[in-house]
Amino acid sequence: MFLTRSEYDRGVNTFSPEGRLFQVEYAIEAIKLGSTAIGICTSEGVVLAVEKRITSSLMVPSTVEKIVEVDKHIGCATSGLMADARTLIERARVECQNHWFVYNERMSIESCAQAVSALAIQFGDSGDGGSAMSRPFGVAILFAGIEEGKPQLWHMDPSGTYIRYGAKAIGSGSEGAQQNLQDNYTAEMSLNDAIVLALNTLKQVMEDKINSTNVEVMTMTSEKLFRMHTKEEVEQIISDLA
Amino acid sequence: MNFMGIEQFPDYKVPGTQHQDFSPYESNGGSIVAIAGDDYVVIAADTRLSSGYTIHTRKQNKLFQLSGKTVLGSTGCWCDTLALTALVKARMQMYEHTHLKTMSTDAIAQMLSIIMYNKRFFPYYVSNVLAGLDNEGKGVVYSYDPIGHCERATYRAGGSAGALLQPVLDNQIGFKNMQLDGEIPKVSKDRAVAIATDTFISAAERDIYTGDAVCINIITKDGIEVKEVQLRKD
Repeated sequence: MFLTRSEYDRGVNTFSPEGRLFQVEYAIEAIKLGSTAIGICTSEGVVLAVEKRITSSLMVPSTVEKIVEVDKHIGCATSGLMADARTLIERARVECQNHWFVYNERMSIESCAQAVSALAIQFGDSGDGGSAMSRPFGVAILFAGIEEGKPQLWHMDPSGTYIRYGAKAIGSGSEGAQQNLQDNYTAEMSLNDAIVLALNTLKQVMEDKINSTNVEVMTMTSEKLFRMHTKEEVEQIISDLA
Repeated sequence: MNFMGIEQFPDYKVPGTQHQDFSPYESNGGSIVAIAGDDYVVIAADTRLSSGYTIHTRKQNKLFQLSGKTVLGSTGCWCDTLALTALVKARMQMYEHTHLKTMSTDAIAQMLSIIMYNKRFFPYYVSNVLAGLDNEGKGVVYSYDPIGHCERATYRAGGSAGALLQPVLDNQIGFKNMQLDGEIPKVSKDRAVAIATDTFISAAERDIYTGDAVCINIITKDGIEVKEVQLRKD
């Protein structure tokens, strides 16, 4: 008899008899080792807030980049393997620029997620085009964007599944954070309330004490589009937290 | 000529044989006029298809309805027109499937430019005029050269009689070189149709590649209305 996992969890191109791809499931588990990232969508805009793990006092915290700009109207927060995240973000940027070049319009958030997901599932060791990776990407991504003046939040995991959310947490503290979002999120809330909720949630799930160097906050609004909050602004919000 | 004691073919030109150059292009004629207004756009093309002094058909529609609010007029080398429009339609279908929406006029305009420039060194020999409603519902006209340069305008003539028709439009719609007090008067939809028709009647007098009939598409938010007016057939 076979041991359920040990025989079917090696190859990424073999289903287990129960119909599961263990390497993909393990990749999803890998996200839970990553730092927490939270996205909240309101009618005024989307807020992304992430925890940065500062493992040494000699580290330069600003070089840990967890929130990045993909295009003027799309921003991303990542959790998991940062190197894998870079590859996916690079693809997202290229796809957005290509879409603008060919169609002279901003790419939709869903299409951007779709393009990245196409790369995320190109793992394995065969295929015509030659696969990009031998294993699944160990990254979950939150896409925050503005489409036709309206904010949107999308989430994508290592299986390539992308779903639109009102509020979503990924990373190590995601279970507790998601529960907190579930309890406190309303679609009608203001952007400022969303920023406070995001940081309050982070504060609850973070192991270190929250401060302006170990979190990053970004807002995506139709007026200002992608905007990272400065250290001073973040400090102000944290000091205002109850 | 003798080589190793064997009589060879002479190396001068042998009567009856000749070298044929590869000529991939043909001009099949045809003209297009497009006029845009605040909430409409009119595009017209004649229906004659010819080569040299031969008329292939008198009823070839040269207007391609790409979407509910975009029409492409394409003339020149007819086989290139067919290849190009087939590619544009396929690309639009692919866009619709991946992005789950119909392409806007502006997106089609940009894509068409890129499709044409992709064949920069073996171009589609076509004269394109794209007419449609933009995202705000305003009428727009885009015109192209064969290698994909794209220009947004409010009125444009193209094709074999393009050079004959454009000055008429400049005068009647653009009010060029005239002393005007204030703004350029707006052109109503009916007047745009009338001007388009009249320019074709004039062009048919002078250009042998324009004639037979003119097909007119009138695009408004309510849809595309199609009209046909007969032209001289000689």
